[in-house]
Order: sequence, then C-alpha cells, then structure tokens
Amino acid sequence: MARKRSKHELRANTLPALLTVGPVTVVMVLLIAVPLIYVAVMSFCSIDEFYNVKFDFTLDNYIRLANVNYLKIYVQSLVIALVTTILCILIGYPFAYIIARTKSRKKRILYMLVIIPFWTNSLIRIYGWRSFLGSSGWLNTMLVKIGIVAEPIDLLYRQGTTILGMVYCLIPFMILPLYTAIEKLDGSLLEASADLGARPAATFFEVILPLTSGGIFSGSLMVFIPCLGYFFVSDILGGGNSDVIGNLIERQFQSGNNWPLGAALSIILIAVTLVLVKIYQKLGGDMDSLGV
Amino acid sequence: MKKRMRWLTMAAALACFLLMGCGSSSDAGEKRELNVFVWTEYVSDSAIEAFEKESGIQVNVSTYSSNEDLLAKLKSESEGAYDVILPSDYAVEYLIAQGNLEALDKEKLTNLSNIDETFLNEDYDPGNVYTVPYEGGVACIAVNTAKVDLNITSYADLFDSSLKGQIVVLDDYRAVIGMTERSMGLSMNETDPDTLAQVEEKLLSLKDNIKLYDSDSPKSALISGDCSVGMVWSAEVALSMEENPDIQIVYPTEGAYVFLDNWAIPKGAKHYDEAMEFINFMLSAEAAQMNISDFPYLCPNKAALELMGEEYVENEAKNVPADVIAGGEFVSYLDTETLAIYDDMWTKLKE
Repeated sequence: MARKRSKHELRANTLPALLTVGPVTVVMVLLIAVPLIYVAVMSFCSIDEFYNVKFDFTLDNYIRLANVNYLKIYVQSLVIALVTTILCILIGYPFAYIIARTKSRKKRILYMLVIIPFWTNSLIRIYGWRSFLGSSGWLNTMLVKIGIVAEPIDLLYRQGTTILGMVYCLIPFMILPLYTAIEKLDGSLLEASADLGARPAATFFEVILPLTSGGIFSGSLMVFIPCLGYFFVSDILGGGNSDVIGNLIERQFQSGNNWPLGAALSIILIAVTLVLVKIYQKLGGDMDSLGV
Repeated sequence: MKKRMRWLTMAAALACFLLMGCGSSSDAGEKRELNVFVWTEYVSDSAIEAFEKESGIQVNVSTYSSNEDLLAKLKSESEGAYDVILPSDYAVEYLIAQGNLEALDKEKLTNLSNIDETFLNEDYDPGNVYTVPYEGGVACIAVNTAKVDLNITSYADLFDSSLKGQIVVLDDYRAVIGMTERSMGLSMNETDPDTLAQVEEKLLSLKDNIKLYDSDSPKSALISGDCSVGMVWSAEVALSMEENPDIQIVYPTEGAYVFLDNWAIPKGAKHYDEAMEFINFMLSAEAAQMNISDFPYLCPNKAALELMGEEYVENEAKNVPADVIAGGEFVSYLDTETLAIYDDMWTKLKE
C-alpha cells in the first residue's frame, strides 16, 4: 500500500516538476554553470612549453595580474566606464523624461528612435563612426569646406572617441529603465508639490529624482558593466590606445595564447560585476528591473 | 478513385527515394573533397576555382586571421578536420616540434622547381620535409612624403619625437617589440631579461608616437591620411601606394621582420592525396600568378614572376628585393617565461 502511494506521489509531484523545470535546469547547467566552472578551474591551471593548458594548480596567473601595469588598465577601464555612465545619465535622463511625458503618437516615434538602432549590429555602427570622424571623413570634410577649421582635426583614436562610442552603444540600456521609472511616476504627486509652493527645480530634486532613482541605479549598472568588456569599441575608435578589461581578455585568448591568464582576467571581471550588483542590492535596487 | 490516388502518391514517393538513393550512391563513389584552412585575404578565389575545375575535387575553404587562431583551432577541433593549412614560419616550427604535421610526398610535388631556392630549406623546416613556401613579406615602413619632412630610413627613425601621434603600427606584439629590438641592433628573439629591460625602456619611448594599433587593415588609416607613417606589412603598403601616390615604402636599414607562409598537411588529414594535389597545383605558375595578382605579397614562385612581367617585378613594394629578405629575420617560438616578459611590456605600452 505504502509503495503504491509513493509511486502515485512520484507521478503527481516529481514527474511534472522534472518535466517542466528539468529542461531549463539542464540548459542552465550546461550553458552557464559548466562554462563558468571551466573558466574558474582554468584560471588556476598552468601552461606547458607549447602553451597547452596543463592541469597543474598554480596561483601564478593571479599573481601576474596583481602587477601595477594591469592595475593601471583596470583603473583606466573603470574611469572610462564611470565617465560613460555619467554621460549616459546626463543625456538619457532628459530624453527618457520627454518620451515618458509625451502623449499621442509622437511617443511611439521617440521610443522607436531608441530601439531601431539597437537592432543594427553595433560593430557596423561603430565602424560608421570611424568613417564619419576620420580626417577625410564626412564631418572633417564639411568643417574644412565651411571654413571653421583650416586643417582636418584629429578626432579618432583618442580616449574621448572610445567614450563617445561607448555612450552611443550603451545609451539605450540607460534610457529604457529610466523611461519605465518615469512612466510610473504619479502625476498627482507633482501637482501636490506645485500646490504646496515648490518651484520646478525643487520639485525635480525633492520629488522626481528620488522617485526615479531606481531607474538611474539599474540603468547605471547596465551601462557600467558592459562598458568594462566592450573591447571592440576601444579597438576600433580608440585605436588600441584606451584598452578596457575586455581587451586584455581578448588578447590572452588570441595573440597571447595564454588561456589560463585570460581565464583569470575573466574571473576578475566577473568578481567586479558581482561586487557592483551587490552594492546595487544594498542600495535598495530591484533585481527585476535589471531584466535578469 | 481515392485508393488509386493513394497508390500513386506512394509510388511517386518511392520513386523519389530511389532516385535520391541513386544520386547519393553514385556521388559517394566519385565526389572528392578537400578541407582547406588558410589566412583571410590571402588565397585567390579564382585559383581555388581553377583547381576545382581541373581536379573535380570540391574545396571547402575556412579562414583564420592569426597563427594563434590557427593553432587554437587545430588544438580544439578533432584530428582530420582540415587537410591543408597555411602556417607562418614560427608556427611551422611549433607544429613540427609538437609532431602535428604529416610529411609531404615530394614525388608528387612536380611543380616544386618553380620555387626560388633561396626560400627553401629554411631553419624552421630543414629540407622542406613538412612544408613548401607560399607567399611572404616583411614588416616595413610606409611614409606619406607630403606630410612628413623627416627622412626615414630605419626602424630607429620611428622613435623620432617629431612623429608624435602620427604612426600606425601592427597590433602585434612580436612585430612591434621585434622592430624595437632591431632598432637597437638586437635580435627579434632576445631572451636575456636584462637586455629585455632595456628593450622595454626603448619601446615605451615609442608610445607617444603611436596613434593607432591595427593589424586588419592598416592601409585604411594611411590612405585616409589619419596616420602619416606606418610600420605595416609590405603588401598593405603596396596597396596603399596605389590609392595615394604620396605614400612611399621604406625598407629599414637594420634589416626587417620577415615572414613566410607555408603549405602544410596537419596530422591525421582525411584527404592526403587530394591535399598533395592541391599543394602541387598552388605551386604552379598559373595559380601563383592568380594569387599574387589579388594579394601582392612576396612571391617565392619564380615562374609566376616571369608571367607577371617587368612592371610587377620592378615594383619594390610588391616584389620585395632579395637583399631585404636576406638581411631580415624570422620571429621564432620563444619559451613561455620570455614570452611573459614580452607580454608584460606590451601591456605597459598600451596602458
């Protein structure tokens, strides 16, 4: 009798759970957990004389990364990401505010203006910037023709150009969460603020900004983190002069041919990301609004 | 009526199956295949088509953009994935040391006599047991004479402070560090840590002069005028000279970084005979002519040079002079500790 019941229970509870959650779990384990563990294990491996990965425990990879040269690139990378994030907030906030407050069909058009470039491969768009900004590019040719400058100005291959490219690529990640936050804002609160005699500036800083800070937080996280890894932007627009952590990783897996070192770099990038997400949670950020 | 329709459909389906079966079985007997893995922008499509037409072998081409890509792919794919590869000098040295190449059947290489003997019997493969040369080149200097007053003749001149923010260099640490070593009268394969500390100091003094690191298409920055000096592959200079007549080629007086790419068959290749046929075809004058017409690198095939005529032979950028090759140096595979020093130097340069 008891055996029969357990068989029944298996059919009633375990089987449906296995069938529904099972496949997702398998996919998650195979595509996320296994590669991550593989990278983590590899970061403690060494290499033989032919650069083959040897399963021979060592901390050398991490010791090499604690070097001042690497630290300087981490700092440079963090500075680029910070500046990019601040610029994205300054440009994205007014834009998101306008979309959220616009009524009628214009709203949809503005929204599409953010989304449509998003559908085009970012590599192609970044190459577009390169030919636009080059010394024989469209912008310089026009400036020289109008007579604003005598000689083409050097716009490419600077740190500023890398930041421009990063802002351009990542700004939708800032605008979309901001838009959602501002959209949710209760209009009657703004009326109340005005009724109580607050000037527009006071209303903005005392009411609107605190209520939309969740959007700013999640937008910042979604801009800051990819910015550390977007190596192709600094490659194409920065000309290799403003490397981010992503460039270091790419180099160790390609020309450096030192996979364990690249794996150690990846682990550091993952650690930085986790710390940032933890800070975000501590500040009261909502994990759902990150879309994860 | 309905029944008859069903019978007809079934018969038709059966006939289709039978026909399909016929098709594939007769193909299996005749269809010959070859999997070729080569550099991007390096082997002419017309040469490959000509080979397919002549031999009836279907060629599947895949490409890589660095020797490290090639080595990584050979490491990760199962044995026999590729039948023909095209590694450079130091990669050949590495592959031979690891026992990853099949010896070539010399009797089948009837066109080997087309190759200039100076390019045979190189140190990385004595007696050409495993490889035969395809094309090559040097890392030389391109100068836009309309923009640069300095008379550049050597790698050492690239360190001149008047070239601040004007140079495009290859995004390749062995090439740039090797160039620095040559400018100091050293070998590109130095291993002594104390010497390398001096090389590092010299290398870092180049930092302000470099505007762009680009290995994919450094000619673009030269043609557009974004950079007025380049340390790039010779064929890139040759092609940029055609677009912008102000650009000139300079072979450094210290002796240049030389590379030579070679046909080889990886261990366990599934189509060895077809691979030999392909390599022999690529050594023919006609195929080599098609290849250098599209990609004007240094051509060790003297029969092809005859076909190309005087204009090509006298173009210094395309047909790299023999004394430049003789005075140059190959990069070789270094031990991991030394390479770690090279890598750290490069990281410092780029921070």
